[in-house]
Amino acid sequence: MRPLWDTPSAVTEPGLPKRRGSFAARGQTALPSVLQSAGNPSTGSPSADSSLGERSAVTIKNLVKRYGGVLAADDVSFSIQEGEIFGIIGPNGAGKTTTVECISGLRVPDSGSISVFGLSPQRDRYRIREFVGVQLQESALPPRLRVGEALELFASFYAHPLDPQEVLQTLSIKNIELTAFKNLSGGEKQRVSIALALVGNPKIAILDELTTGLDPEARRATWALIERMRERGVTVILVTHFMDEAETLCDRVALINRGRLITLDTPEAIAAEAGVNRVRFVPSQPVDDETLYAVQGVQVIERKDRYVTVTGTGDLAASLINALATMGVQVSELEARGGNLDDAFIRLTRETTSTERERVQA
Amino acid sequence: MTPSTAGERSHRSLAQLLALLKVQAKLNLREPYALGPGVGIPVILLVVFGFISKQVPGNVGNSGLTVIDLYVPTLMVISVIAIAISLPATLVRDRETGWLRRISTTPVHPSRLLGAQLIVDLVLAAVAVVIIIVGGTVIFGAHLQVSIPFFILSSVLAIAEIFSLGLVVVALVRTQIQGQLVGGVLFFALLFLSGLWVQPAQISGPLQTVMWYSPSGAAVRALLYSVFNTRPPVTTLLTLAGYTLVFAFVAIRYFRWE
Repeated sequence: MRPLWDTPSAVTEPGLPKRRGSFAARGQTALPSVLQSAGNPSTGSPSADSSLGERSAVTIKNLVKRYGGVLAADDVSFSIQEGEIFGIIGPNGAGKTTTVECISGLRVPDSGSISVFGLSPQRDRYRIREFVGVQLQESALPPRLRVGEALELFASFYAHPLDPQEVLQTLSIKNIELTAFKNLSGGEKQRVSIALALVGNPKIAILDELTTGLDPEARRATWALIERMRERGVTVILVTHFMDEAETLCDRVALINRGRLITLDTPEAIAAEAGVNRVRFVPSQPVDDETLYAVQGVQVIERKDRYVTVTGTGDLAASLINALATMGVQVSELEARGGNLDDAFIRLTRETTSTERERVQA
Repeated sequence: MTPSTAGERSHRSLAQLLALLKVQAKLNLREPYALGPGVGIPVILLVVFGFISKQVPGNVGNSGLTVIDLYVPTLMVISVIAIAISLPATLVRDRETGWLRRISTTPVHPSRLLGAQLIVDLVLAAVAVVIIIVGGTVIFGAHLQVSIPFFILSSVLAIAEIFSLGLVVVALVRTQIQGQLVGGVLFFALLFLSGLWVQPAQISGPLQTVMWYSPSGAAVRALLYSVFNTRPPVTTLLTLAGYTLVFAFVAIRYFRWE
């Protein structure tokens, strides 16, 4: 079977950069810049992303969007390089969806500017829609519309669509081509939604909560699909609250909380920079949370059976052993490791959610 | 190759509309909110009043017309009402579930979907009108002498007016439940004013005036004159045009795509 992304296309919009052709082209240009950014700790600050030297697909400057009194986007600036998989993570209600909806032109920013391949999502909305594919977080099809019909319909909307049959095959939904939307399972609906975002052969794909509601196998299959989009040079903007997803797929990740950009870097750099450690142990006698929180660096405590898992900063294992020893508590089955993006996420969002002073420090 | 020459754009635009028409037509057959009531109700009523007309021949209320003569315009308007009232059933749902919003992320504006739906509804209304005229004259012996220009003028105005009213409901309600409630009440009010239970020609006084100048009664009156080869009163045509303008203004002013 020919992979979906092999379909040749030469989209040459006037005034737009020509689509990068092949896997090889992308492999040579984009990957090193990603590695470069990983090896450079100074890129940790929210605005230090323009130094990558890649052409930018999306540039956001000082984006502000309010709903009533709530700031959904509070002076957000970043840019997304052509061909990268860019993750936007953050807690629920952090402003992730608002940000991508401003990119796709579904919402109009209160202030700030957005450029998508040099075009404005507001002024050039119809030209942008030609090459930006969107998967919305919550969006249903008419209940009796069949999967194949929906794809044919969407293909007809675009100037250079992919073959709907190939999209069906690549997403492994050929078997439900004749099934009405109302009879689909959650995972199938999700895949149809992705298929609709891709059938227009976009240069930029915005995927909001891509794998929410999918079983583990379907998630892996979807991830593989995103990897293939990367190979084809499609710029992917991935909104997610799954840290493993961001870690696996994303070249760079923007962490947003309360409408603010907290950090922007590779997943590895964010995890390392947050300096989070995780220690699991079995105490010789029960220890309450209060005692543990009193230990320097402790931030999160989780318990399962006899095991206590503590996440925090600094030399966590040593501090814990010392503190507990003074109370006569022995520690056994000790297991310590560096943090991952998940831990960094919790630490960074906790900090930003607490006080203004702490936010500045983060 | 530049994809944005004027010729290619209009070609694509047509292709997009045809694709939407195909999908909307299929959906309208699968979920016959418009087809069922829009064609079904008038056809059933045609049979009912056709048989009544055979039982009670002759002159109704000194109008010089038989029962079936009088009811042919009413049934046409009822068909248009039923189709217009079905507009919220699909459009409000498509808005509530995010389908219209989903479309608006593509190069096609959701107004094209609305356009396609209105074309499908127009075809349904035309089918119903033809069934009523042919059935009424051939099977039940209505004495129609349709004046083609007046008939076209009156039907265009009637359909524009009543479809606009349906779109007002789509524009103003927020949920499908609201749409059903408002649509249901409106449906029976319009049915009454179109003369389903009492023909305006049979009565006199204020009620007759109210009916003749109501949205559906005015449509019936214009069609009644037109199918008997007479120019409809100018006041009736102006009434229809006025309602159309007001309804269309409200619908456009308050329409929401998401």
